[in-house]
Amino acid sequence: MSLCQNRLQEERKQWRRDHPFGFVAKPKRAPQGGLDLKNWECAIPGKANTLWEGGLFKLDLIFPDEYPTKPPKCKFTPALFHPNVYPSGTVCLSILNEEEGWRPAITIKQLLLGIQDLLDDPNPESPAQAEAYNLFKKDRPQYERRVRMVVRENQPN
Amino acid sequence: MATWMSDEGLGARESMSEAHILTKNQLVTELYNPANQRDPARINEIQTRLQQLQKTENAWAIADSLLQSEHSAQHRFMGALTFTVKINVSWSEINVNSATEIMQHLINRFVALVTNGEQAMVVRKLASSLVAIFRHPVTPWKQAVWQLAASLVHGGYVSEEESRAVDFQERILPALSKSGSGALLFFSIALAEEALRLDSEPQDGAGDTSAIQRAIHNIKDGLLLVQFVLGEIIQHAKTAGDDAVDVALAAEAMNSWKTWLGVHGNRQRSSAEDVNVLAVRCGHTVIETLRVPSLSESAASILTQAFETRSWAFDDNSLWLISEILADSIVTAHITAVKSGDEGVESMSFVDLLIAYVSHLHLDIFSDPMTPQNAAILALIHGIFKTPGYASIDDLGTPRVLEFWNDIAESLPGQIEEGSSRYDLVKSHLAEVVLGLSSKLLYPKSEDLEDWGEEERSEFGAFRHDACDYLLSAYPVLGVDLVTVFQRSATSCLESRDWRNFETAMFCIAQLSEAVDENGHADQCLDAIFGSDAFARLCAGGETEIPLKARQTLVDSFGKYESYFERHSSLLPDVLNILFESLNFELCAHAASRSILTLSKSCARVLTSDLPAFLDQLDQFRSKPTATVPTMPKVLEGIATIIQCLHSDQEKVQTLERILGFFVQEANTAREEVTGPAHEFGRQRGHLVLSCIASIGKGLRSEGEVIDIELTKEGDPYPLSFWNSGPGAEAQRLIMEAMRLLIVDFPVDSSIIEAACDILKAGYTERAGLFVFPPSMTVDFIKSFPLGISGTDVIMATASSFLASHARHAMNIRSEAEALIDHVAQLFSSMLQNPDVYDPETANAGIDFLTRLLPKYYPILFTPAKSNLTAESPLAVLLHFTLHALTRPEPLPLKSASAFWVALIDLRGSSPEEMNILESVHQEFIPRLCYTIIQQIAGRCARSDLVSLNDALRRTVFKKMALARPAIKAALDSLDAQVTDANGQQVPLLSAQDKSRFLESLAIARGGQKPSLDIVRSFWLKCRGMNFDYAQ
Repeated sequence: MSLCQNRLQEERKQWRRDHPFGFVAKPKRAPQGGLDLKNWECAIPGKANTLWEGGLFKLDLIFPDEYPTKPPKCKFTPALFHPNVYPSGTVCLSILNEEEGWRPAITIKQLLLGIQDLLDDPNPESPAQAEAYNLFKKDRPQYERRVRMVVRENQPN
Repeated sequence: MATWMSDEGLGARESMSEAHILTKNQLVTELYNPANQRDPARINEIQTRLQQLQKTENAWAIADSLLQSEHSAQHRFMGALTFTVKINVSWSEINVNSATEIMQHLINRFVALVTNGEQAMVVRKLASSLVAIFRHPVTPWKQAVWQLAASLVHGGYVSEEESRAVDFQERILPALSKSGSGALLFFSIALAEEALRLDSEPQDGAGDTSAIQRAIHNIKDGLLLVQFVLGEIIQHAKTAGDDAVDVALAAEAMNSWKTWLGVHGNRQRSSAEDVNVLAVRCGHTVIETLRVPSLSESAASILTQAFETRSWAFDDNSLWLISEILADSIVTAHITAVKSGDEGVESMSFVDLLIAYVSHLHLDIFSDPMTPQNAAILALIHGIFKTPGYASIDDLGTPRVLEFWNDIAESLPGQIEEGSSRYDLVKSHLAEVVLGLSSKLLYPKSEDLEDWGEEERSEFGAFRHDACDYLLSAYPVLGVDLVTVFQRSATSCLESRDWRNFETAMFCIAQLSEAVDENGHADQCLDAIFGSDAFARLCAGGETEIPLKARQTLVDSFGKYESYFERHSSLLPDVLNILFESLNFELCAHAASRSILTLSKSCARVLTSDLPAFLDQLDQFRSKPTATVPTMPKVLEGIATIIQCLHSDQEKVQTLERILGFFVQEANTAREEVTGPAHEFGRQRGHLVLSCIASIGKGLRSEGEVIDIELTKEGDPYPLSFWNSGPGAEAQRLIMEAMRLLIVDFPVDSSIIEAACDILKAGYTERAGLFVFPPSMTVDFIKSFPLGISGTDVIMATASSFLASHARHAMNIRSEAEALIDHVAQLFSSMLQNPDVYDPETANAGIDFLTRLLPKYYPILFTPAKSNLTAESPLAVLLHFTLHALTRPEPLPLKSASAFWVALIDLRGSSPEEMNILESVHQEFIPRLCYTIIQQIAGRCARSDLVSLNDALRRTVFKKMALARPAIKAALDSLDAQVTDANGQQVPLLSAQDKSRFLESLAIARGGQKPSLDIVRSFWLKCRGMNFDYAQ
């Protein structure tokens, strides 16, 4: 088995053994019922006592063959209203950038926790979408109203 | 230098520091004085003073004096702590001799303390001091556990050489007193923990490596010590009974085993076979302690951890021993008690061990033939599902057991041949799990749910989804029989109105849709539910007794079986009936609206005859409090999808007018409300109206009928049609009226703007239709908003979509395109003239709009009338503004301005006239562009802006080298920042060679993304300072 597959098997085991409250992370299923280890569906809950509380935001993790040397791509599905999420849904975060903060030792748990932190603590230095970024900078009440709407639309089933 | 070995000798130092010692004694007394405990300021002051003393030259003497103090154990503890602090503070001053002397002295003190029956906290602290000196790279100390043991037996320091002359296992260990074994364990664990820490966080290179290497020499002795202590304890328990067991000592020994396993596993497992064997043998002894009642829980916990991280420490014999104990011992009794609800969470350690054991064996546990022990263990595991209470809340065992079965279900198909006896054996166990799980999935009764907080609800919800994950994993093995189990439950519970069990069955069936909806494998099962009389009665309405949770799960399941309902369209009217009815309940409205949309989209054609009934249902729903932005637009999109399938436009228009008329009324109401005290309601109503109309547009734009813009070469941008000049015109007028009411003189709101833009965009992919408006409507809409409002980006993106939709006949909307370009130029001009009104959102949105229009609309932008480059011309304003955006700190406009210049440099005119204009633009602006970029990358811009700036720079270098080279050189020459050199002289930050090397490197990179970026990044770092380098 490749390094990538080995590591992902181990990540899955670790996640099952211990994962943060309210989070979901599991490999997607192929049509025949088998698992596609390089393609995970995840969900990140909004942090308690923040605007994002109550929401559960779905996210795909797509692992390249070179993982863990290279980071996975993290993509909200559907794209999320957030200053650091590209219109395609891809998350812009230093620890997901091979040339910045990515290290092979970073676990899926740490990644998802990092993204959860990012929700309520956007990085205005790295805007990825104009809509949320502009509201965040210019019209905070409206930004917050939009976030609340996003939370309402992303309730756990 | 006053170190341990200073010339004055200990006596001289003692006299010198007498005052300090006295002070420190007093301070320690005061620190622990109960009278001071309520005065944090005083405690803080004392601690600060103590810390100061611990770092003084006299700290050695102070430490030693405190360690021998007869005042209290706290004083001696502080003495040991002071030794550790002083060793660390004087780290660089310690040499081989002083290290040896400190080590000898501390060993003597350690032995004395242990002999005098010192309290554990002091012994443990001094063990840490010993480890601190062991860690020092110059310390010549290897076999530390052996030597310390020999010293303890001897009653004072024994050299390493002398101690090695006596056999550790046969002579030294048996001679240790009980307190000696405990003290030695403290040291052994502290040493192992330090080795693990150094291994994971190396601090100062060679020194640490040397300490780890020396620590490794102690693994064997550490394990022998564990073996000896545990062996003694087990023996003692057999003869003297469980009450006589020293639980604390045994726990230390087990912990020591785990820690040394860590060091060994990380460092030398492949090279030291004898230690491997010893570690495994030691594990056997730890396993044996499971049988000692007072030790079994600690042993279970340690063994579980070892299974998870050091599974190599178990051989066949270990596994056999554990299986014996799990199958029939006090451990079995504990697990049985957990599943009967007779024991609390503290006994989960045994369940954890059970899971760790079976997880370790994985599919091997299903051996052929299966051992009686493993058969008993599997029965125990299945029994966990019978634990009373809710899974994850009162019953913590079930979720853990489920993890194991999930793993087995996922692995089976790939690892054991289908049809073999082992495969069938595992399959039967997987089926048994399904039956065991059923009762655990029951949704809580309302009285139980009332006592739960958010966390419990969420935990239980997560468990249910994990359980469904298991069902999906087991489906490839169990097949449709799995669905049949839940179908039987669903039909019988529906008949008997056992709603709680019905909800559970439907929940599982809904989750299994992923496996069976599209392929139709479970259609017969679904027929049995949805084709039953009881289901028909439920759909007919009036079944008020169905609880909301069951209703919610049911309506959610409809949306998950869209393919099934497409194949069974006769069921749809009934299903949609109950879905519309469910819209009235807050708990169900979301799921119901989602399912209405899904089913309407997939079965639109067969639903047209039921449209009148749905419209009646809509009339009822639209006035309900549950008709909100998350629900109502979905319902309308669904209905519009069905309308789109009506045969004639005439039929469509009647229905649409009926719906749109209502929204115009609502828009009027919203307009009245926003001027009064209910303005927030007015805003919300306005938003809802426009969102619903936009959703109608989405529903009418059925995917199969979208026109291909690229193929629409010719034509009037707004040809006469049924919808703008025929019978459909009234419906279109209603939409325009609703938009006018909610945009013109209505408070500006970004959500409303977004919904209005969605309405405009709905028709951009069509040539004729209800949502195809006159082009001037988009232009007027865009021009109606003032500079600086929130939502400008959405407005300008709509402008781009508008132009894109007419791209193939761009010249037919020339006046509209010009109006939009002039509008943007005016906005830019205002911001250039008055920097106070600079709005990054408008800047970004405007530049992005320009970039998008360049490929198709450049002839309009570069018409001779527009493109004279005097300062006031629209083109000059636009270009100046894009350069200005590159100099500002806001990242988005900078990024879009870079993209604009990339697009402009790539642009090729198609006529000599256009080429001339482009050439003059390049001649005029490339020097300015190069100047701006060089200024920015010379340390002024943010690091994250480098990628965008590099894109513009490299494209200029690659495509316009002749213009770019002198321009970059001139820009580099203008950089004159100074720095102070090593001699204190002011010198240029960049030498002439630096500048020329940079330029040449850029030229050699020939526009390559990565090489150029590396050059630009190094240049930026050089100008900004190396401390900004991530690698630092």
